[in-house]
Amino acid sequence: MSQLPDVTPPGEFEVGVSQRDLWSSLWHDKMGRAGVIVLAVVLVLIGLGPVLFPFNPYAFGSSSGSLMQAPSRADWFGTTELGQNVFREFLVGGRISLYVGVTATLIAIVLGAGLGLVSGYYAGWRDTVLMRITDFVLVLPTLPLIIVLAALFGQNVIITSLVIGLTSWPQTARIIRSQVLSLRERPLIQRIRSLGANDSRIMFRHILPNVAPLIFANLALVLSGAILAQAALAFLGLGDPVQVSWGTMLHNAFDAGAMSLGAWWYFIPPGLGIVAMTLGFALIGNSMERVLNPRLKAQR
Amino acid sequence: MNRRYLLRKLATLLVTLYATVTFNFLLFHVLPGSPVQLMARSGHMDAAARNQLVKFFGLNHSVFVQYLIYLRNMLHGQLGFSYVYRTPVTSVLAPAIGNTVLLLGAATVVTVVVGVALGVYSASRARTLTDATITVATLGAWSMPDFFTGMILIFGAAAWIHFLPISGISTPGLATGLLGHWWDVARHLILPALTLALVNVAQFSLITRNAVVETMVEDFVLTARAKGVGRRVVIVRHALRNALLPIVTAASLYVGMILGGAIQVETVFSWPGMGLLIYNSVEQRDYPVLEGCFLLFAIAVIATNFFADLLYHALDPRVRRT
Amino acid sequence: MILLEINDVSIDYRTEHGTLRAVDHVSLHVDRGESVGIAGESGCGKTTLGLAVPLLLAQNATVATGSITLDGTSLVGLSEKQMDPLRWTKVAFVFQGAMNALNPVQRIDRQILEAITTHETSIDAGVAHKRVLDLLDSVGIAPARASSYPHEFSGGMRQRVMIAMSLACRPKLLIADEPTTALDVISQAQILSLLNQLRRAEDLSLILISHDLAAIKRVCDRVVVMYAGVVVESGLTAEIFGTSTTAPSAAHPYTQSLIAAHPDLHGQRVLAEGLSGHPPDLSQVIVGCRFADRCPHVMDVCQRVEPTLVTIAPGHVAACHLVDGEAS
Repeated sequence: MSQLPDVTPPGEFEVGVSQRDLWSSLWHDKMGRAGVIVLAVVLVLIGLGPVLFPFNPYAFGSSSGSLMQAPSRADWFGTTELGQNVFREFLVGGRISLYVGVTATLIAIVLGAGLGLVSGYYAGWRDTVLMRITDFVLVLPTLPLIIVLAALFGQNVIITSLVIGLTSWPQTARIIRSQVLSLRERPLIQRIRSLGANDSRIMFRHILPNVAPLIFANLALVLSGAILAQAALAFLGLGDPVQVSWGTMLHNAFDAGAMSLGAWWYFIPPGLGIVAMTLGFALIGNSMERVLNPRLKAQR
Repeated sequence: MNRRYLLRKLATLLVTLYATVTFNFLLFHVLPGSPVQLMARSGHMDAAARNQLVKFFGLNHSVFVQYLIYLRNMLHGQLGFSYVYRTPVTSVLAPAIGNTVLLLGAATVVTVVVGVALGVYSASRARTLTDATITVATLGAWSMPDFFTGMILIFGAAAWIHFLPISGISTPGLATGLLGHWWDVARHLILPALTLALVNVAQFSLITRNAVVETMVEDFVLTARAKGVGRRVVIVRHALRNALLPIVTAASLYVGMILGGAIQVETVFSWPGMGLLIYNSVEQRDYPVLEGCFLLFAIAVIATNFFADLLYHALDPRVRRT
Repeated sequence: MILLEINDVSIDYRTEHGTLRAVDHVSLHVDRGESVGIAGESGCGKTTLGLAVPLLLAQNATVATGSITLDGTSLVGLSEKQMDPLRWTKVAFVFQGAMNALNPVQRIDRQILEAITTHETSIDAGVAHKRVLDLLDSVGIAPARASSYPHEFSGGMRQRVMIAMSLACRPKLLIADEPTTALDVISQAQILSLLNQLRRAEDLSLILISHDLAAIKRVCDRVVVMYAGVVVESGLTAEIFGTSTTAPSAAHPYTQSLIAAHPDLHGQRVLAEGLSGHPPDLSQVIVGCRFADRCPHVMDVCQRVEPTLVTIAPGHVAACHLVDGEAS
């Protein structure tokens, strides 16, 4: 799936940015703030929506009982070709998209940061081996690989999350590894090592906090990529058939020929939902990246 | 070009190709639940088909021997038989490849030209409202799934612009000569290529903008400015020319992404390329075709990376020594 | 004859934390054929001042007060388009640390050629190319190496290429910012004697910005000492820093400590003395003398009143209450 490009030369991120700095500059940066707001709106909608608007999930015919109808007072977002209420589907569908996105990202980040940490800290043969593996996974085209894995191993939410996570970690691994490589040369780390401190202790107590801001910036970007990946999978019919996600809604809309029939209410809301959620995280990640790499702000 | 470098890169290329083929084998033929095993063991195939399968893949031998047979088949260009079409996978893939290449080619031209231009413009107006607006707009375009963009365009075309076809590669039953046929294909190409380009322009624009902005703070750019060569020369001949290096590096990720986009766009527009083939083969559980498509996609990415490496090498004199 | 006049110039930087005045009401001038050194530690504003002349300041910096006049033309306020024809032809700049100051993907002869053809559009290609080779020759680089890339040269050679390039359009004024800082001692000596040579050959005016007093002593007729954005002392180099036969007559304690930190290789054997503390934060308002909290001779009045430049001897000024009679 598309991954937001990382063009900044590795190892050039400001190490001195603390977590607190990161989050506060996010709010002060206009784009970061916009991202947070957009995200908040989406999250509120999908979180509170089904609570505030409890439609009976098993009722097929809605109050108007009609099929493929444009939005009206009865059905705010209109109805599907099966008479379902689009608004309700929309509110519920967002949850799966978010769930898969978050789970996949967690897998990718833990794997990627972990490998990057080990690779960068130990360097030597471990680094070479891990980097070869990383490079190989990077070479495999992402969406085709996700499709193949989903087709072979199943379509439920867990497997989908796993599959997306397993294809997204290389980017994180590389970034973290570069940072760790430059960190381990710092006098503080060298001093602690010469004092005989335990390796994992150094990694987790000293190096990890320093790369944490970088992990967060990367997390946001991986998350937006994961959401797009899940949407694409669901659209292609490889999503969980039991749970409705926004991607599934778009799949159904496509199958029903919504575009040619002019039934914009069917596919625009879930599509915009995906865009909003992805954009929110992308703006946040982009903003964090600029805080961590001041060169991107262009001071000349 | 340094011959040792070329040889080293070729060696890496071959190793990666080999690893990919092996990975493919593991995925489709060895792992529990892999389709070939399932097919062979289930009772759903008639004896002739099953025999063909067993013979072709050597299923009554050990895994290792199967692997060798697989490699041998690969070297002979044999990718198996389609379950659905009952023809060699290669004959199913062949026409699709051309169509996808056409689509990707058209989209790439637009993407690179518009993307780089937009990125340079954005970088030259760095830190102004224009730059911020373009960045937000491109992030927005990047956030749109390819298939959704396609659906919107179809909706627009169906509702308002009736000139542009929204499906397929040509109009069925249209009787014209060669030129007419090409024009027909071109008309059908517009919407899908536009869809693909829209999302990826964002990608290139962002990459270019960041690369140029980073380059502009380098010392040699200040030197160029000090020489009084003028703003345009500074940006193009000094900043952009050096920014090309990270752009080429980042662009090699582009291929993997555009292939994913192609799958979505071809599905939405029923464009008969490899993307649609993947979609159909998943739906129809035609695993040999799926495997063939995946392998081809992987090879395409590897080959493109190889050429991108060579290009980088040609562009950066500092690397040429090694 | 005055070539460059910097009159009461202040330069402000707009940062996220407020406005910072890096250069505060500084005046200096350079005559035709003269070489002036600007000395001071990092952050004193000397580079900012140097960059201001060809209008190469960063986008968030502005010349808030004063004027800069070069060969009769007032420079402050000119647009990029207006300034471009003057750059390199009237004033050229040699940057600090030529590690990255040359375009890494262009051959050096083409980079020098670019400078020539930009300003002399109708010059014949062969003539221009010959000039490039002559320039390289004058800095000691063989014609065979003219079509090499920057990374194929050592640091010292790259700096020489930069100097050759800076003379491509025969400027009247050359501003060199720490041209020897990133180099080894031998290359340093070579570059400095090269600068002297070229100065005399081309009748060039030179501004040498450096924290290395030895370099300034060697090349500059006059020196201007800056601290925390203001000029604290200025005068003839021979007077202020002394020569092998005369003692230095620096009046300002800062200048004195600079001299103490750079013992003369050929002079008496003394221990180098550093100066503790660090320069003041320029984003804050400073009351009194900027050097007060580091000055070994600080008095009460220094904390309250900022000293102004007074003449101590002909051509020698200093801004210090020790000499301006305020102390009494």
